[in-house]
Formats: sequence, structure tokens, C-alpha cells
Amino acid sequence: MKILIIEDELVLQRSIAQYLTGEGNICSMASTYAQALERLNAYQYDCILLDLTLPDGEGLQILNYLKRMNRTEGVIIISARNSIDQKIEGLSLGADDYLIKPFHLSELNARILAIVRRKSAHGERHIEFHEIRIDLDAKEVLVNGKLVYMTKKEFDLLLYFVSNKGKVISKSAAVEHIWGDDSDMVDSFDFIYTHIKNIRKKLTDAGSRDYFQSVYGIGYKFTEA
Amino acid sequence: MKLFSKYNRILIIVSLFGLLVIGFLFYQMLAYYLDQQIDHDLVEEIMEVKEYSAEGKFYQPHEFEDLVVQYKKIPKVTPSSSYADTLFYNPVKHRRETARYLKTELALVGQPYQILVIASKFERQEQIKNICLIILIPVMLLFAIVLLINRILLKKIWSPFSQLLNNITAFNINHEEPYKSVEMPVEEFRQLNEVLVELSGKVKSDYNEIKLFTENASHEMMTPLAVINSKLDNMLQSNVLGKEDGETLVELYKATSRLTKLNQSLLLLVKIDNNLLQDTEEANLKLLIEEKATYFQELITERNITLETKLEDVSISTSRQLLDILINNLFSNVIRHNYDGGKIEISLDVDKLVFANTGHNKALDPEKIFDRFYKDNTSEGTGLGLSILKQICNRQHYQLNYSYEHDLHTFTILFNPKLI
Repeated sequence: MKILIIEDELVLQRSIAQYLTGEGNICSMASTYAQALERLNAYQYDCILLDLTLPDGEGLQILNYLKRMNRTEGVIIISARNSIDQKIEGLSLGADDYLIKPFHLSELNARILAIVRRKSAHGERHIEFHEIRIDLDAKEVLVNGKLVYMTKKEFDLLLYFVSNKGKVISKSAAVEHIWGDDSDMVDSFDFIYTHIKNIRKKLTDAGSRDYFQSVYGIGYKFTEA
Repeated sequence: MKLFSKYNRILIIVSLFGLLVIGFLFYQMLAYYLDQQIDHDLVEEIMEVKEYSAEGKFYQPHEFEDLVVQYKKIPKVTPSSSYADTLFYNPVKHRRETARYLKTELALVGQPYQILVIASKFERQEQIKNICLIILIPVMLLFAIVLLINRILLKKIWSPFSQLLNNITAFNINHEEPYKSVEMPVEEFRQLNEVLVELSGKVKSDYNEIKLFTENASHEMMTPLAVINSKLDNMLQSNVLGKEDGETLVELYKATSRLTKLNQSLLLLVKIDNNLLQDTEEANLKLLIEEKATYFQELITERNITLETKLEDVSISTSRQLLDILINNLFSNVIRHNYDGGKIEISLDVDKLVFANTGHNKALDPEKIFDRFYKDNTSEGTGLGLSILKQICNRQHYQLNYSYEHDLHTFTILFNPKLI
């Protein structure tokens, strides 16, 4: 996938690019409004990451531009402002998602994939990973065609790990993914362990191989080997 | 006591006391002059008696003079005379009246006599009464009128002041509208008003500046935090980390999470302060609590905590976002500060919502518990959760109380505190 990262904080820009490139994506970078326009004029992307506070122009202008040009790229706003108004404005101008800084790169990656999947809605809305099939519409998990019952949180978590397959996801990122921002649950890291254990058990019981790996006690990886 | 009634009370007490003293003295003076006059008349009567006796007759006054002269034979004249008050029977009017007499001894027609001249004071006293009334009634009237004018004037003069008071009371640092100034006809009040306008403006701008500072500081911290987070996420992907590095990363993740949460909480507080969350909709509280109970279910069962709910079907009209945060915070609080195998009790009725939990701590200080950053050392929370609760309740005009009963930390939210 081709992804354009419009972000004026260069370290963050590079970090995002590093993570996403590791996922097999091609990343372009822009740190000003002018640069961003230049890139957008020259290339088509699958997804655009947009920081709203750029030094030489409001990020929302880029949304206006994309809308005017009838561009079909998925746009994720990444903003330090957790403002409902800005969120609504951004989404109504055609952004597909709104991610508040600071975020985990795995979260960003999962959201990018979700948008790209949604954009290419002609295809089937499911993800396959060897014997595991995740149906996104029905929110069902099938192993070798057999339905595996999962709670909503387990489903979300599995999808999160599959979206970031091969990457280590920290417990912190996993907690934030299922509990969201508004619950003051930062000290419930270890609780993720129970969830992963349950998912693993359900999958292996249904005949799947165990793809989860515990890493350094920090997090887990969903991986081939 | 109101300034107004205090002023009036003093005025009335002093005036009445003065009036009494002056009235008493006035009466005494009049009575004294009356006695003098009567005594003078009595002496004249004695002269009359003497003149008559020179002609060999006993003087008797005319009937209409309210005067009685009595003669009494005595063995011998000792020259003396005395005045005094007495009562006598008025033979003309057939009643007893106060009177004044002069008693003296004289030799009349060659015989020693004691002569008693008694004059009625009745008519004169009536006169005094009338004089007093004639003076007293207008004075009282004047007094009443002065009081009335005072009242009306004071009320009129002070009415802008009470308006000013109302406006100060209505002034809220969190609200958009500034302090409303009042038209002041009185110089001192006008000054007061001007000072208040200036002061309220200053307070408001200072407060807004602090809020803006908090907001900006928190926002500015979000980008570096995002950098740290992303660096950690990338570092985690490295395949060459040792066990020790892993532990360091865990600590770093935890610290970053806490810092992030702290920042978010500060921003949320500012946002509630700024009244930015104003959406209002009808929300079924029972459904919401049940939903949240499912949402937090794993956290509760993981620690073997028993959850008891007693929920009535209650809907309230409120900001959905604030309500969400409120219930989330309540749940987070009762789970976080519980011990494994503890208990959570939630009850809901039309008037109130109660969250109670067992905990390691004994009763907490209800005065301090809602303060920002008040927490015990073992807590890994931000110390802002309860402040946020309090702030939301203030904003929604709910009353949030904390108590410690039967080993349960109990948080009660009264939806209509004024009615109870």
C-alpha cells in the first residue's frame, strides 16, 4: 500500500514510516501544507495520515482540497486535540477516522487497514490467515470453516493482532485498544493475559495452530512461526 | 439583620426614648407652673377672707369657682401656712377631684380660726392634657412620616445595591456571560460597581488564561508523548532485546500510559470547566449501567469481585458524553480501589445513584477526597478521577457525596439535591 504521512513532527513522521514500511507499505512523507499538496498532485495513495496542525496551513485545507478533487484516498486525521468539534468537522469534510495523539503504531496500522478494507468494499469483507477466517460483517471467527464463539472484546483483540501480524503488540496498546480512552484503566495491563489465553484456547480447541507468541513479557505477537 | 432594619430599629428606639424623656419633662414643667398658679390663687382667696373678716363676715366663694373654704375654730393662732395636694369632694359636680389646698391660721372676727382653702385642679389638668395632646399628636405624626419617607428612600437608594448583589451572586467564573454592571445613581455605589466590573473582568481573564495554559500545556505534551510511544512501539519490534530491556520497556510503557492518561484527564477537566460538552439527550441510566457492567465484566470477575446491582428503570436528560465519563469513572474507581474477592454494590432509583465498594483503606477524608491529585501512594491512578466526577456533578447540578458505611466506600449522586 502507498501511504502519505503528513506530519510536521519529523521524529514521529519517521517512526510511523518505519513501522508501516515494516508492514510492507510504501510511505511518502510531507511536513508542510505545500509539500503535502505537491505530493498529492503527483501521486495517488491508498491512505493519507493527516496532522491537522501544520506550520503553514490548516490541515483541514487538505481535506477540502481532496474533496474538491474527488480523491478517493482514505484519510486518518492524527491530532493532539481531542475535540469533538474538530472531529466532527474533519469527518464531515471526508476524513475516515480520527486518531488522537499519542497513539500506538499498532492501533494506527489497524485503523489504516480497516479503512483500506472499507474503501475496497467490492471484495469480500473478510480476512484469512491460514485456517482462520475472520468475517468482518458478521463479526464471526471460523477455524477450518467451523464457527468459534468469541466475545466482542476477544473478536476485537484477535482482529487487532491479525491486522498487525508479525508485529509485537504491547499490553499497553492492547489495553487501550479494547478499553478506549475514557476508562481510567491504565493499571490493568496484566488483565490482557487472560484475554489472550482465552482466545488462544478457543482457537486451538477449534483445531487452529497457536499463532500467538509472548514477547519479553511486554506483549504478544501474532505470527506464522 | 438587614442594614435597613438595623438602622430603623436604632432610629425608632432613640426617637421613642427621647420623646418619652422630653414628654415627661414637659409634663412636669407644666404641672409645676400650674401648681404655682393655683397657689397664687389660693393666697388671693386668703386675702379675700381677710378682707371679709375686716367687715365682720366669713367669706364663701361663688359656686362656679370650684373652690371651697373651710373654717375651723382652734384654741390659738400659731402663724403658719402650708400648701399641698389633696383630694376633695366637689359639691357642685358631685365627684371627687384632685385639688390643692392652703392651710393657714388667722384670727377672724376676734376668734382664732384654721382656714383651709381648697381649689380644684381638674380644669387645669384637663388643660395640660389638651396641651400635651396638641403637641404630641403632630410630633407622632411627623415621626411616622419621617419613618415612612426613610423607608421609601432607603429602599429606593439601596435597590441598585441589591441588584448589584444579585449580579455578583449570579456571576460565575465558569459561565460565558460577564458580570452585569448596574446603573448607580449614588457615587459610592457607582465606585463599588466599577471596582466589581474591573475585578470580575480580571478574575475571568486570569482564570481563562490558566485554563488556556493548562490546555495548551497538555496539548503540547501530547506530541512528544506520541513520539515516545511510537519509538517504544518500534523498539519493541527489534529481535535483539534482552530480558532486562523487556522489563525496561514495560516500565516505560506504563509511565507513558500514565502520563498520557494524566494529560487526558487534565484536558477533560478543562473541557468540562469550559462547558464544552453540552449535548443533551434522554439517557436510560439503567441500560447504560448494565452495558458498562458488561464492559468491565472481565476486570470484575478477574479479581473475584462480587457485583450486586439494584437498578430501577430511570431515564435522565443529560449530556451523553458526560454521563459516559461519569459511569466509566465510577466503575473504574470501585474496581481499582477494591481488593481481590471484594464487593461492589450499585443501586439506582429516581433520586440517586449509589456506587459502593470494599477497599483496603478505612474511611477517606470526605473533605479532601475530591481534590485534584489526592490519592494514596499505592494508587496507580491519575488522582484526577474523582475530581472529574465532582466536576461533572457540579456541571450537571448533581450532588456528589462520599461516606464510609459498613466497611463500604460509598459514592452517592443525588440527581435533584434541592428537592431532598
